[in-house]
Amino acid sequence: MNQPKSRENAYELRSRTNVLRLFRWNGAWAVATALMVFGPKFLWKNALVFTVLAVALDVAVGIGMILVNKKYLADLDELQRKVQLNSMGITLGVGLIAGAPFSVLDSYHVIPFHADIASLLILMSLTFAVSNLYGRWRYR
Amino acid sequence: MKNRLKVLRAERDWTQAQLADALDVSRQTVNAIETGKFDPSLPLAFRAARLFGMRIEEIFHDPALDAACPSVGTEIKAGR
Repeated sequence: MNQPKSRENAYELRSRTNVLRLFRWNGAWAVATALMVFGPKFLWKNALVFTVLAVALDVAVGIGMILVNKKYLADLDELQRKVQLNSMGITLGVGLIAGAPFSVLDSYHVIPFHADIASLLILMSLTFAVSNLYGRWRYR
Repeated sequence: MKNRLKVLRAERDWTQAQLADALDVSRQTVNAIETGKFDPSLPLAFRAARLFGMRIEEIFHDPALDAACPSVGTEIKAGR
Protein backbone atom coordinates (compact mmCIF):
# COMPACT_ATOMS: atom_id res chain seq x y z
CA MET A 1 0.00 0.00 0.00
CA ASN A 2 1.39 3.38 -0.96
CA GLN A 3 1.73 5.96 1.77
CA PRO A 4 -0.58 8.94 1.17
CA LYS A 5 1.29 11.99 -0.08
CA SER A 6 2.27 14.49 2.60
CA ARG A 7 1.41 17.54 0.46
CA GLU A 8 -1.10 20.03 1.78
CA ASN A 9 -4.51 18.46 2.30
CA ALA A 10 -6.41 18.97 -0.95
CA TYR A 11 -9.73 19.06 0.87
CA GLU A 12 -8.61 21.79 3.26
CA LEU A 13 -7.08 23.79 0.41
CA ARG A 14 -10.33 23.56 -1.55
CA SER A 15 -12.32 24.45 1.55
CA ARG A 16 -10.15 27.50 2.26
CA THR A 17 -10.61 28.71 -1.32
CA ASN A 18 -14.38 28.33 -0.97
CA VAL A 19 -14.39 30.16 2.39
CA LEU A 20 -12.45 33.07 0.90
CA ARG A 21 -14.79 33.20 -2.10
CA LEU A 22 -17.81 33.13 0.23
CA PHE A 23 -16.24 35.84 2.40
CA ARG A 24 -15.76 38.08 -0.67
CA TRP A 25 -19.35 37.55 -1.83
CA ASN A 26 -20.68 38.19 1.69
CA GLY A 27 -18.69 41.42 1.78
CA ALA A 28 -19.98 42.43 -1.67
CA TRP A 29 -23.55 41.71 -0.58
CA ALA A 30 -23.09 43.78 2.61
CA VAL A 31 -21.77 46.68 0.52
CA ALA A 32 -24.61 46.33 -2.02
CA THR A 33 -27.16 46.24 0.83
CA ALA A 34 -25.64 49.32 2.45
CA LEU A 35 -25.76 51.08 -0.92
CA MET A 36 -29.42 50.11 -1.33
CA VAL A 37 -30.34 51.27 2.20
CA PHE A 38 -28.30 54.47 2.48
CA GLY A 39 -27.82 55.43 -1.19
CA PRO A 40 -31.26 57.01 -1.76
CA LYS A 41 -30.79 59.36 1.20
CA PHE A 42 -27.09 60.14 1.11
CA LEU A 43 -25.91 59.60 -2.47
CA TRP A 44 -28.59 60.24 -5.06
CA LYS A 45 -31.32 62.20 -3.22
CA ASN A 46 -34.10 59.65 -3.79
CA ALA A 47 -33.69 59.46 -7.58
CA LEU A 48 -35.93 56.48 -8.42
CA VAL A 49 -33.78 55.07 -11.25
CA PHE A 50 -30.72 54.77 -9.03
CA THR A 51 -32.77 53.23 -6.22
CA VAL A 52 -34.17 50.58 -8.57
CA LEU A 53 -30.66 49.90 -9.89
CA ALA A 54 -29.33 49.57 -6.34
CA VAL A 55 -32.10 47.09 -5.47
CA ALA A 56 -31.37 45.11 -8.65
CA LEU A 57 -27.67 45.08 -7.81
CA ASP A 58 -28.38 43.92 -4.26
CA VAL A 59 -30.61 41.09 -5.49
CA ALA A 60 -28.07 40.05 -8.15
CA VAL A 61 -25.17 39.98 -5.68
CA GLY A 62 -27.43 38.17 -3.19
CA ILE A 63 -28.16 35.45 -5.74
CA GLY A 64 -24.43 35.14 -6.44
CA MET A 65 -23.79 34.80 -2.70
CA ILE A 66 -26.40 32.06 -2.41
CA LEU A 67 -24.81 30.11 -5.29
CA VAL A 68 -21.33 30.47 -3.80
CA ASN A 69 -22.68 29.35 -0.42
CA LYS A 70 -24.30 26.35 -2.10
CA LYS A 71 -20.99 25.35 -3.66
CA TYR A 72 -19.23 25.87 -0.32
CA LEU A 73 -21.69 23.50 1.37
CA ALA A 74 -21.48 20.95 -1.45
CA ASP A 75 -17.68 20.84 -1.20
CA LEU A 76 -17.62 20.29 2.56
CA ASP A 77 -16.90 16.83 3.89
CA GLU A 78 -19.69 15.01 5.68
CA LEU A 79 -18.75 16.04 9.23
CA GLN A 80 -18.42 19.72 8.33
CA ARG A 81 -21.69 19.53 6.42
CA LYS A 82 -23.36 18.01 9.49
CA VAL A 83 -22.04 20.87 11.65
CA GLN A 84 -23.35 23.42 9.12
CA LEU A 85 -26.71 21.66 8.86
CA ASN A 86 -27.11 21.62 12.65
CA SER A 87 -26.21 25.32 12.82
CA MET A 88 -28.65 26.22 10.05
CA GLY A 89 -31.42 24.16 11.68
CA ILE A 90 -30.92 25.85 15.05
CA THR A 91 -30.75 29.27 13.39
CA LEU A 92 -33.96 28.67 11.44
CA GLY A 93 -35.71 27.48 14.60
CA VAL A 94 -34.54 30.43 16.67
CA GLY A 95 -35.52 32.81 13.85
CA LEU A 96 -39.03 31.39 13.73
CA ILE A 97 -39.50 31.06 17.47
CA ALA A 98 -38.15 34.53 18.22
CA GLY A 99 -39.48 36.28 15.11
CA ALA A 100 -43.19 35.58 15.50
CA PRO A 101 -43.51 36.66 19.17
CA PHE A 102 -41.26 39.67 18.48
CA SER A 103 -43.66 40.81 15.75
CA VAL A 104 -46.73 40.18 17.97
CA LEU A 105 -45.18 42.12 20.86
CA ASP A 106 -44.61 45.03 18.49
CA SER A 107 -48.14 44.83 17.04
CA TYR A 108 -49.71 45.07 20.49
CA HIS A 109 -47.24 47.74 21.66
CA VAL A 110 -45.89 45.54 24.44
CA ILE A 111 -42.33 46.53 23.59
CA PRO A 112 -41.47 50.23 23.53
CA PHE A 113 -39.63 50.04 20.18
CA HIS A 114 -40.33 48.96 16.61
CA ALA A 115 -39.61 45.28 15.83
CA ASP A 116 -36.94 45.94 13.24
CA ILE A 117 -35.99 43.08 10.90
CA ALA A 118 -32.34 43.98 11.57
CA SER A 119 -32.74 42.81 15.19
CA LEU A 120 -33.89 39.42 13.96
CA LEU A 121 -31.01 39.22 11.46
CA ILE A 122 -28.51 40.00 14.21
CA LEU A 123 -30.06 37.36 16.49
CA MET A 124 -29.96 34.77 13.68
CA SER A 125 -26.35 35.66 12.81
CA LEU A 126 -25.25 35.30 16.44
CA THR A 127 -27.19 32.04 16.80
CA PHE A 128 -25.51 30.64 13.68
CA ALA A 129 -22.05 31.72 14.85
CA VAL A 130 -22.47 30.25 18.34
CA SER A 131 -23.99 26.96 17.15
CA ASN A 132 -21.31 26.64 14.47
CA LEU A 133 -18.51 27.20 16.99
CA TYR A 134 -20.16 24.71 19.35
CA GLY A 135 -20.37 22.11 16.56
CA ARG A 136 -16.69 22.57 15.69
CA TRP A 137 -15.75 22.31 19.37
CA ARG A 138 -17.89 19.21 19.84
CA TYR A 139 -16.13 17.28 17.09
CA ARG A 140 -12.67 18.76 17.60
CA MET B 1 -19.90 2.18 16.00
CA LYS B 2 -16.30 1.25 16.74
CA ASN B 3 -13.44 1.23 14.28
CA ARG B 4 -9.78 0.31 13.88
CA LEU B 5 -8.84 3.39 11.92
CA LYS B 6 -6.35 4.67 14.46
CA VAL B 7 -4.61 1.29 14.73
CA LEU B 8 -4.46 0.82 10.96
CA ARG B 9 -3.12 4.34 10.52
CA ALA B 10 -0.50 3.83 13.23
CA GLU B 11 0.59 0.51 11.66
CA ARG B 12 1.36 2.40 8.47
CA ASP B 13 2.95 5.31 10.31
CA TRP B 14 0.54 7.81 8.78
CA THR B 15 -0.49 11.05 10.40
CA GLN B 16 -4.15 12.08 10.68
CA ALA B 17 -3.45 14.75 8.08
CA GLN B 18 -2.10 12.17 5.62
CA LEU B 19 -5.08 9.90 6.14
CA ALA B 20 -7.43 12.88 5.79
CA ASP B 21 -5.75 13.77 2.51
CA ALA B 22 -6.05 10.23 1.21
CA LEU B 23 -9.75 10.11 2.13
CA ASP B 24 -10.38 13.68 0.89
CA VAL B 25 -11.79 14.87 4.21
CA SER B 26 -10.62 17.27 6.90
CA ARG B 27 -8.22 16.20 9.64
CA GLN B 28 -10.98 17.02 12.13
CA THR B 29 -13.21 14.44 10.46
CA VAL B 30 -10.54 11.73 10.73
CA ASN B 31 -10.06 12.60 14.39
CA ALA B 32 -13.82 12.56 15.07
CA ILE B 33 -14.13 9.12 13.43
CA GLU B 34 -11.12 7.71 15.27
CA THR B 35 -12.44 8.90 18.63
CA GLY B 36 -15.92 7.55 17.90
CA LYS B 37 -17.59 10.97 17.94
CA PHE B 38 -18.74 10.66 14.35
CA ASP B 39 -19.78 7.69 12.24
CA PRO B 40 -18.76 7.92 8.58
CA SER B 41 -21.18 7.49 5.70
CA LEU B 42 -21.09 4.29 3.67
CA PRO B 43 -19.17 5.93 0.76
CA LEU B 44 -16.50 7.22 3.15
CA ALA B 45 -16.30 3.82 4.87
CA PHE B 46 -15.81 2.23 1.43
CA ARG B 47 -13.04 4.71 0.63
CA ALA B 48 -11.31 3.83 3.91
CA ALA B 49 -11.69 0.12 3.20
CA ARG B 50 -10.25 0.56 -0.30
CA LEU B 51 -7.36 2.62 1.06
CA PHE B 52 -6.39 -0.04 3.60
CA GLY B 53 -7.12 -2.92 1.23
CA MET B 54 -9.65 -4.40 3.65
CA ARG B 55 -13.37 -4.99 3.88
CA ILE B 56 -15.56 -2.45 5.67
CA GLU B 57 -16.48 -4.87 8.44
CA GLU B 58 -12.79 -5.46 9.15
CA ILE B 59 -12.45 -1.75 9.97
CA PHE B 60 -15.85 -0.76 11.34
CA HIS B 61 -18.05 -2.80 13.61
CA ASP B 62 -21.08 -2.31 15.82
CA PRO B 63 -20.52 -3.61 19.39
CA ALA B 64 -24.29 -3.84 19.94
CA LEU B 65 -24.62 -6.12 16.91
CA ASP B 66 -21.63 -8.19 18.05
CA ALA B 67 -23.30 -8.67 21.45
CA ALA B 68 -26.69 -9.52 19.95
CA CYS B 69 -25.39 -11.86 17.23
CA PRO B 70 -21.87 -13.04 18.19
CA SER B 71 -21.92 -15.61 15.39
CA VAL B 72 -22.14 -12.84 12.78
CA GLY B 73 -18.96 -11.24 14.06
CA THR B 74 -17.18 -14.58 14.12
CA GLU B 75 -18.26 -15.34 10.55
CA ILE B 76 -17.11 -11.94 9.35
CA LYS B 77 -13.71 -12.37 10.96
CA ALA B 78 -13.45 -15.82 9.43
CA GLY B 79 -14.26 -14.35 6.01
CA ARG B 80 -17.47 -16.32 5.54
